[in-house]
Amino acid sequence: MRRLRWFTGLICVASATALLGQNIAVVADHLYTMADGTQGGPGVVLIRDGKIEAVRNAPHQQPPDGYTVLKGVYVTPGLIDADTTAGISGAYNIPADQDQDEATDPNTADVRTFDSFNPNERLLKVLNQYGVTTVQSAPGPRNPIAGRAGIFKTAGTGSGPATVEQLAIRQESAMVFNLGDTPKATYGKKEKAPTTRMKTAEIIRHALLDAKAYEEKWDKWKKDGTDISKQPSRDMKLEALLAVVDGRLPAIFNAYRADDIDTAIRIGSEFHLHYIVASATEGYLIADAIRRAGVPCLTGPVMQRMESLQTANATFENPALLKRAGIPIALMTGYEGYVPKNRVLLFEAGIAAANGLGMEEALRTATADAAQILGVDDQVGSLAPGKDADIALFDGDPFEYTSHVLAVLTSGQVSYQRR
Amino acid sequence: MRFRTAESGRLSLCLWAVLCAGIALCPQTFAGQATLVIHGAKLYPISGPPIEHGVLLVADGKIVAVGEEGKVKIPRGTTVEDATGKVVMPGIVDSHSHIGIIANPSASDSGDANESSGPIEPGLRALDAIDPADPNIRMATAGGVTTANIMPGSGNVMGGQTAYVKLRGNTIEQMLIPGSIGGMKMANGENPKHYGAKDKAPMTRMEEAALARGIYQKATQYKAKWEAYNKAVATGDKTAKPPDRDLELEPVVEILEGKRVVHNHTHRADDIMTAIRLSDEFRYRLVVHHGTESCEVADELAKRHIAVSFTIVDSPGGKLEAMNLDLSCPARLEKAGVKVALNTDDPITSSRLILRQAALAVRGGMSEEAALKGLTIYPAEMLDLGDRIGTLEAGKDADFVVLSGPPFGVYTHVLQTWIEGQKVFDRSNPQDLRYATGGFGVADRFPASARGGN
Repeated sequence: MRRLRWFTGLICVASATALLGQNIAVVADHLYTMADGTQGGPGVVLIRDGKIEAVRNAPHQQPPDGYTVLKGVYVTPGLIDADTTAGISGAYNIPADQDQDEATDPNTADVRTFDSFNPNERLLKVLNQYGVTTVQSAPGPRNPIAGRAGIFKTAGTGSGPATVEQLAIRQESAMVFNLGDTPKATYGKKEKAPTTRMKTAEIIRHALLDAKAYEEKWDKWKKDGTDISKQPSRDMKLEALLAVVDGRLPAIFNAYRADDIDTAIRIGSEFHLHYIVASATEGYLIADAIRRAGVPCLTGPVMQRMESLQTANATFENPALLKRAGIPIALMTGYEGYVPKNRVLLFEAGIAAANGLGMEEALRTATADAAQILGVDDQVGSLAPGKDADIALFDGDPFEYTSHVLAVLTSGQVSYQRR
Repeated sequence: MRFRTAESGRLSLCLWAVLCAGIALCPQTFAGQATLVIHGAKLYPISGPPIEHGVLLVADGKIVAVGEEGKVKIPRGTTVEDATGKVVMPGIVDSHSHIGIIANPSASDSGDANESSGPIEPGLRALDAIDPADPNIRMATAGGVTTANIMPGSGNVMGGQTAYVKLRGNTIEQMLIPGSIGGMKMANGENPKHYGAKDKAPMTRMEEAALARGIYQKATQYKAKWEAYNKAVATGDKTAKPPDRDLELEPVVEILEGKRVVHNHTHRADDIMTAIRLSDEFRYRLVVHHGTESCEVADELAKRHIAVSFTIVDSPGGKLEAMNLDLSCPARLEKAGVKVALNTDDPITSSRLILRQAALAVRGGMSEEAALKGLTIYPAEMLDLGDRIGTLEAGKDADFVVLSGPPFGVYTHVLQTWIEGQKVFDRSNPQDLRYATGGFGVADRFPASARGGN
């Protein structure tokens, strides 16, 4: 019966384009808004012009006339992958579609995901079909200073191919710094710096100091007058890092081992950065230090392989242990160099749910908490009036292996529906 | 899980402990004696329908009886393990794994899966490179795996002899299943073409097929020479000279004789047809491994009774031949009448989550029954071990897994794993738990607050 109900709901949807500009009512047996209020009861979400118009938490809600009805057993906000290379690291895994690592210089603060992001990358579509509607897409793990991440929707709203401008929520969301094994493995091979963790830290500190000096130089010039011949030379890298030093742009330190996470905390506090730790594989081993520093963690992938020394101590329980320690966390999938080319946040969150986090906390971590940490909670991450209508509909507990995504709405449009 | 004994006997409990300790050394001392009964669980015998409140009677490492509560006679002195509310299924058989041969964590000199000095290496044996101390093996038992086909990698057209092992013991000899000789790893498609970058063959699929055909031709000739020699000896020819022994060709002859199954890494539909073409030509037994596009040629597989050991990864791509990966493929194979096993390809996916592999096949439309068989009897058959493992039936090895809930539930945990009547994993043991979740290498560094629960 339950199956029949949602099915008839979906039949109303002749095609995604038919819903352009339409009002939609999403009816749920179990509605998880991840906004204030009780979770998991029956409810209706009304959508108008791509935004959530109203949320009604009550049994037997009849959608008003003029709304196309979609029904789901479980209905949740679209999931947010807090740190991934989706969009810049393509499914084919050949040089032609790999744009995540500009490993020609350990400092590529001047590059941006935004300028590499392929809005029509097939993996984005795959993620969208599993309910992931927002990703922070970040440069890969190889450069100590890797460049700027951006935050994007995984599906557009037009009938044709999207542009990166259309998908971007934040063109520049953070500067990515990489610690640990990968940068030194990358440059050590080329007999270039860094070949040690010491040098990686030094490169980052040096660049941040240079950015400060650069600012002072400009301030001095501005104060002294406007003689163009004495104007300091512009430096794209330092200008980008200046935003980090000034606290206008968050820093993401990608760190796996406990001592690398500690290095992130050390540099973050030295320069008074607004910073976040990503990966945080061994975070559970120094949870107290992370909590004391007040730094949020983007952690994952939960099913991370233990193949390298820096990930050898990965545990499925890391998200639960960090959360229990009082650390704000979001979940991420990071970078994959082989198969699967991109992990799926829905699956990663499921393993976290089953290993101490529980269903509702895992869902909150993958939606509202992620939005808050990334600073986009005014727009995505929960179902509340005025927010983007990014919604995932499931035929059971979203994290159960054998559940299905029935439909996905991205910015109020049906971007996927199960046939 | 609570223990009690059927008799009042503290004595019998003591006896049990002694017997346990001695089991590996002198199994004959209690042959035929019932030593353990798992009681009250929902049993999935696989050979028949599930039993809601089942009894599993084990003695001497073998299953003695399986049945409904009250219908199986429990001998006096048996140790009773109450598993009410739990689920018991046969030990999981992973038909495609690299545990022990790709170390965890790996370093550049610790990987032993691919002998990249030549594309045809039938003389190599996985057993000569498997490290029984690799933590991956304990992690696999934490996932419910009891038997694995540990294979060389897919970098060679013929990569070497695979090993059929139980996940117990400190030496490879203790792990190997007596009487089994293993299979032969082959690969086609993208991976063996890496030689092209070194200006060596193969750099095309054409050459991969030619190299495979070449080794089978040589082995056919070698086999004929030995047959001629044996025939001459049998007819009393004392001057007959035996051919020189050839370590490379001997195992290939075993393939031609039907004693050794070929486990062929092959993704794309046309590559699968190439593997089939070779097996048709030289009349050998083939199992298709990975089989990403196997559903596109399901009828060709079904009519030849070729089984597929399928690998599911979470998204398509990563390599061109995996671009069309789809969760519905195992279901489509099932519908076409092809037997499908779900494998881990560990380290590609973790053995701890092998139940998840089959659960995702169910998500893609496969029946739960076929998915359970795909973890047990079908992979057992692929390894020619179907008469020994893969179901809960009297006379088979007492390899079984105790689960906290339905086999395909994300919140279900493997509670215990037993191999031949011995418990090799117990989630209630904190050290074992770390092999299920991770962090075993730093267990003693755990802050007290970090101790995880279920």
